[in-house]
Amino acid sequence: MKNFAKLAAAAVVASVVAGAAMAESLYTPNLSYRTGPFAATGIPLMNGQKDYMSMLNARDGGVGGVEIAFEECETGYSTEKGVECYEKTKGKAIVTQPWSTGITLQVLPKTNIDMIPILAPGYGFSPMMDGKTFQWAFNAPSGYWDGADMIVQFIESEGSLEGKKVAFLHLDHPFGKEPLPVLEAAAAEKGFELLPIPVGLKEMQNQSAQWLQIRRERPDYVVMWGWGAMNAGAITEAVKTKFDMSKMLGIWWSGHDADLAIVGDKGKGYKSISWSFPDVDAGVMADIKKHVVDAGMTESNETEMSGVFYGRGVVMSMILAEGIKVAQDHFGEANINAEQLRWGLENLNVTEERLAELGMSGMVPPFATSCANHTGHSGGWMLEWDGAKFVKVSDHLTPNTASYSDIAMKSAADYATANAPWPVNEECGG
Amino acid sequence: MLNDIFIAPFADMIAAPDFLLQVLWEGLVSGILYALIALGFVLIFRSSRIFNFAQGIMVVFAALTLVGLHAMGIPAWISVALTLGVMFILAVSIERIVLRPLVGQPDIILFMASIGITLFLIGGGEIIFGGENKVMITEELGIPTGDTVLEPWGGLLILQHLDITVVLVASALVAALLAFLNYTQMGRAIRALGDDHQAALSVGISLQTVWVLVWFIAGIIALVTGIAWGARAGVSFALEVIAYKALPVLMLGGLESITGAIIGGLLIGILEKLFEIYWGQPLLGGNTETWFAFVLALFVLLFRPQGLFGEKIIERV
Repeated sequence: MKNFAKLAAAAVVASVVAGAAMAESLYTPNLSYRTGPFAATGIPLMNGQKDYMSMLNARDGGVGGVEIAFEECETGYSTEKGVECYEKTKGKAIVTQPWSTGITLQVLPKTNIDMIPILAPGYGFSPMMDGKTFQWAFNAPSGYWDGADMIVQFIESEGSLEGKKVAFLHLDHPFGKEPLPVLEAAAAEKGFELLPIPVGLKEMQNQSAQWLQIRRERPDYVVMWGWGAMNAGAITEAVKTKFDMSKMLGIWWSGHDADLAIVGDKGKGYKSISWSFPDVDAGVMADIKKHVVDAGMTESNETEMSGVFYGRGVVMSMILAEGIKVAQDHFGEANINAEQLRWGLENLNVTEERLAELGMSGMVPPFATSCANHTGHSGGWMLEWDGAKFVKVSDHLTPNTASYSDIAMKSAADYATANAPWPVNEECGG
Repeated sequence: MLNDIFIAPFADMIAAPDFLLQVLWEGLVSGILYALIALGFVLIFRSSRIFNFAQGIMVVFAALTLVGLHAMGIPAWISVALTLGVMFILAVSIERIVLRPLVGQPDIILFMASIGITLFLIGGGEIIFGGENKVMITEELGIPTGDTVLEPWGGLLILQHLDITVVLVASALVAALLAFLNYTQMGRAIRALGDDHQAALSVGISLQTVWVLVWFIAGIIALVTGIAWGARAGVSFALEVIAYKALPVLMLGGLESITGAIIGGLLIGILEKLFEIYWGQPLLGGNTETWFAFVLALFVLLFRPQGLFGEKIIERV
């Protein structure tokens, strides 16, 4: 009995200490995937995210003096496991980073009830741009429909699209189908033929049938919405079928250095729109090297750190850290909760000056969010593979949001109706 | 509609025979790789009644080992030899640690054990090699990477040297396997074990030796498959899903038939490509390869439940 009392007392002390320790950190789980068929593209992104947060913890003691508890929950890019991870982490999380369009779609309705903001930089459900309807969801700095519009703008800048044929090679998955409404609308408006070509998950590495179709149809351009092994599979098939690489463009998730390294020089000319750009000489990278790499805390390596995806991971964590900082400043407290972070993410204003302060000039275009605008629409740059790395081949491109805002508003309204009762933030304009 | 199904596809084939040849060639390349993976399944099933769920991850593990050893500065062909050594050690370990204690257990237990092996190899592979995409050492192995462009009937036929090599090597491997199984003592032992466990054991065939051997052969097949697919799209854990393409091959050809695996693989490779190009893409929006092989296998099973070449089992009660 005496021992039992001691044990009980120890348990109470332990729970109090643990509770105090928990209160001294902000729990920001990341539903990562370092395993499975998509690990190759996931790992550099997750490393970039994690290293930035580790750097903030080591350099500044976190954000606003509160340490960031950046914990990963492995999903293997599986929607089912992603939902499990969300449920497991939501109790103490101030944000959820779902990391796949499929998982985002599943947790989207739940976050309204659990009141946890979703942060899905550059992915997720595009109508999330409508902050009035999707109060808890953010996909800043750019959404898929921004990407689709910028790609169309870019190829149109090479000549009228009237009468041309554009193949849309995409993963047969919610992510791959996401830009279809905008591309279909653009095809109708600009008079080009859109040829959707799906790639199944099991066919990612053997796309000979898809590329035979491309050979038969002779499209003027191939727009790729690929992820994981699909990218490398498509690029090797494009080289194999002697497709003009300068006429092949991908979304930002199809611009991974390691995928292009497989074909090397033969991939020269391939382009990828991107809202981020790596800069190994940036101030933030020097700080990561000093506080994380030299301290032996990184899982990355020099080659990976110079790539597009690692740099993007760093930018993604910066967006979260900025959201936390904005909320802390506004509410005057360091230990913010999920609702306060939602406010922070809704009031981001990442200017050129702020990027310079962060040591991230040129790594992401400036952007700002608002109550009605949860995407920011930063725009981006067209990157091109030069045989060894991606280089910028355009000035800062911006999406013409007016061209698809009607589609977005309608999709958001349809979603709210289909999931009624769906709370709408009436205080928002727009 | 009837025109689109019954006339237009054949008219297209006749109108562009060079393209048809290209489709057939691509189907053949895929088919021979499917057959190779299916062979790995069949060999293990015949000798131990295990449906080896780990065949896919063995492909990844073998390819990663090869690339990883080469990255350590070991010459390419020595890396191949060492990888074969690793696959042998893996075969011995599986037999000693997993299979031997499970002798006599129901098939489902052995199947579950192969899932356990899969999870172990996934975890181990990720810890040792990491999950990043790696470049296959194609050129270092001397595998040609250029192409030959032919112009049959004034058209265009592109033959990748890599694909030609894959077809030749895979064919040679299949022929060597058949010769081994039919003309060597150990090969006959494997077949005997496949026909009747008890009878084979009663004439002194060592179950342990045969199991190590078939798992090692499955390892060799995994390495060849890993090199072939890895050279196409890099070496990553995504290669694992390739193995699932062998499932309809096994259903079609029969789980116990080596001939079935080869013919089933070729049939599925070619037919799924023809169907996708001439019917799937124009009429169904494409991506029919994800289900066509299964539907074809299902159709065959309706008439021949044991598969095209499987053994008809008559059980009396």
